[in-house]
Amino acid sequence: MAEKTWKNYRDKKHFKPLPLKDIRVLEVGTLILGPVGPGFAALMGAEVIKCEIPPLGDTARNMTPFGYMFRGAFPPTFTHINVNKYWLGLDLHKPEGQKVFLELAAKSDVIQTNLRPGVMEKWNAGYFHIKEINPRIIYISKTGFGEWGPYAAENRPSNDGAAQGLCGYAWMSSFSGQPPLKSGVYPCDDYGGLMGEMAILAALHHRDRTGRGQFIDLAQTENIMRLMSWIWPYQHITGNTAMPSGNRDVSICPADSFYCKDCGLVAIAAPAPEEFKGLCTAMGRPELAEDPRFKDHLTRLKEENATEILKIIADWSRTKSAGEIEELAEKHGFAASRVKTAKDVVEDKHSRERGFVAEIDDPLLGRYHDYGFPVMMSKTPPRVNWGVRPVGFDNEYVLTHLLGKTEDEIKGLYECRAIGKWADLPGRKPPSDWDGRSGIIMARDGDGEGKE
Amino acid sequence: MADEQSWVDWVKENTDPRAAHTKPEALDDITVLDLSCKSFAGCYCSSLLAEFGANVIRIEPPEGDFIRTCTPYGMLYKGEGLNYLTEGRNKFHITLNLKEQEGREILKGLVSQADVLIETFRPGVMDEWGIGYEQLKEINPGLIFASITANGQFGPLSQSRMPDYDNIAQAKSGIQSATGEVMPEGKCYDECPWAVPTKAGSWIGWAQPATFMAVGIMAALHWRVINGEGQALDVATNEAYARFDNDGALWYEGAGVVLERFGSLIPGGWLYCFAPTMDGAVFLGGLRLEMWQAFADMIGKWDEWDAGSWKDLSYFTRKENQLAWAPVIFAETRKYTNQELVNMSIEYGKKGRLAPITPVVAPVCSPMETMKDENWLKRGVLVPVKDPVFGEVMVAQAQHKMTETPIRTKWVCRPVGYDNGHIYLKYFGFGPSKLKELKGDGLI
Repeated sequence: MAEKTWKNYRDKKHFKPLPLKDIRVLEVGTLILGPVGPGFAALMGAEVIKCEIPPLGDTARNMTPFGYMFRGAFPPTFTHINVNKYWLGLDLHKPEGQKVFLELAAKSDVIQTNLRPGVMEKWNAGYFHIKEINPRIIYISKTGFGEWGPYAAENRPSNDGAAQGLCGYAWMSSFSGQPPLKSGVYPCDDYGGLMGEMAILAALHHRDRTGRGQFIDLAQTENIMRLMSWIWPYQHITGNTAMPSGNRDVSICPADSFYCKDCGLVAIAAPAPEEFKGLCTAMGRPELAEDPRFKDHLTRLKEENATEILKIIADWSRTKSAGEIEELAEKHGFAASRVKTAKDVVEDKHSRERGFVAEIDDPLLGRYHDYGFPVMMSKTPPRVNWGVRPVGFDNEYVLTHLLGKTEDEIKGLYECRAIGKWADLPGRKPPSDWDGRSGIIMARDGDGEGKE
Repeated sequence: MADEQSWVDWVKENTDPRAAHTKPEALDDITVLDLSCKSFAGCYCSSLLAEFGANVIRIEPPEGDFIRTCTPYGMLYKGEGLNYLTEGRNKFHITLNLKEQEGREILKGLVSQADVLIETFRPGVMDEWGIGYEQLKEINPGLIFASITANGQFGPLSQSRMPDYDNIAQAKSGIQSATGEVMPEGKCYDECPWAVPTKAGSWIGWAQPATFMAVGIMAALHWRVINGEGQALDVATNEAYARFDNDGALWYEGAGVVLERFGSLIPGGWLYCFAPTMDGAVFLGGLRLEMWQAFADMIGKWDEWDAGSWKDLSYFTRKENQLAWAPVIFAETRKYTNQELVNMSIEYGKKGRLAPITPVVAPVCSPMETMKDENWLKRGVLVPVKDPVFGEVMVAQAQHKMTETPIRTKWVCRPVGYDNGHIYLKYFGFGPSKLKELKGDGLI
């Protein structure tokens, strides 16, 4: 039956509607926390207008892994999180720029920012300014610590790594006796951005029912704390600090990453009765499943028993390759996977067939693969349509199509530098092989040159 | 709004979680059935909806869901596992035996009165039971049917027998391999078993896919307002988590480079690392040239390092230069305590040469320090809930601060089948005698 629901899902994606097609979002965001949420909305069909201060734009245009730019033009992270957007180079320091912003805000459903508290207010673009002209607006400010409270009062700057440190997430993600370890990705930025979409969509539901907009104060540190589950009641009940345990999951037994014959790690989990029995059988030790120390999950989780069973598994895993263990897991119904790299994920046949690893055919960046939106929606499939753009690339389209400005008015805005385009710098300008036309939605004479 | 302080006061007054109960709930028109089985992802997903006021009916087999036994070191509090204790919030808990035809008929009765169904069974199980999406949409065309599983509902691996667990999703995502200490030169696994790909300590491999699904459900609800139709949603936990590997796919796709673990530094930027101090460690963050310069200035190295002459960050971002500079700055940070460095950053932001630009400095805390940090207490995030069944329980909450429809935690958890009486009466008119019958038949 599921086959019927999902038949040709990937190939028919573009023949179906998008769930947020009636929603317009204005983004004034930098780095990851600000832009990543609107990026999710754009994958679900929202029209997202990304406002950047010309000519340098988003600071994430600098964030290159060891200096690498994708297609020589834009950093990978920046490219990954900013798909499907329209690009407006708008200087909010300038009164004329602020006026354009208000005109856009009057026609928008959502405004997203991640600037330090007070900055949007200074630019006459705070919630109160917008609410006055558009009471239906849903306005979210995403920061490290929120708009109020002791840290906000100190005007502390923040970012993902600070959040990882402050909430204990990094502490819990290391090996016992080793210093706290920072994640190789940006979990607090991405998770804050994702939780922001949850709040916005709930607010939208409220607006669908009542017509009322609202303001959302999102602190990224609070959102990553939300998923740290047992740690808070454990500390509160026992009075003890929760301690890290490396790759071992202290709430599920067995669940750990084990060293195997081919010198890599394989993650194994087999807590439920039939799964644990399967693992014991796979190890050639079926009697362990009946051992009073291991028979019942709660007993098996006790420190002395868990240590014992994990050691038995570790000794066994050393005699097997990761591939052999995966095969045994499939056969006996427990879970196992080698620790995969990005290469494994990008090339994964399963995820390609599902369209999670999506192929993009972009006028500026060419053909490439990237991860798409991970929620498959049978009637309204989210999708990646295009990649990222230089600063101010879509100025003419946004100002003409949305605001109906004349060519003279647009010229005036360029002259007073309220709008602008990219600087002649990597990460800001088009790819070097750009033909000066591709990807432009609404061209004017003289377009295709950097204006700064 | 004339001045900054009155804005801050206004936001505080209107988003303080202590007043949340005086405001409407965004989703109190939505009924959700949570059938999740052996999955924290399903529970977390329905929690997010329940926090916004959705009427969530959590349906477990008569003996309770296995996930309740997934608790640190096997510890129970008043008979409940600590993880489940945090994600039973605001939900009504009933039991129903779906292995019996009669139980499935009762489920259909609930489906006809619900908006959303969340399930985490192995793909095909619900279909075999006659309660898959295609069957249930005949009863309720507006139904949003949300499945969270290891490999998703379709694709070559969807029929795999392997169950879904957090540590497996993390291992499959590419993110575990990109996180961890680098093996010291000349050492091997047995000498340094901590210098390996390292997963996150918390269940992000479950909570994050759950959050994506909750976002998908909200988008589907919006679509239903426009169009009236429901739909099926599908999340594979490892794919969802892989979405957070922002550099991984494109670095490999464009340059054939595989993102590898790099300790507490990060390939994607400078200044961005954990640094040891006299009494622990701090996070140092810049990512803009001026912030890196401000850091050098803050620790008194402006002249010695000639920071004024630095032109951009590309030099510092390169791998060899990150590795060369990290020990240099660590030698400096070791001279101070965490608190001293934090204060230096705040002061620099006021009076420094590049003020208001200042580097980000944050202490790396144990979760106990976090729990005692008054910032989170004042913002209502880490405060105990007074639960009618479990008493005072500390959970993280109130992360969505909203002026009109703030979230709230009304209760934290319920024992197995606690709400059978109320829910079966409300939806089916089943009184005590009928419930006794159902119980006798092993249905609830």
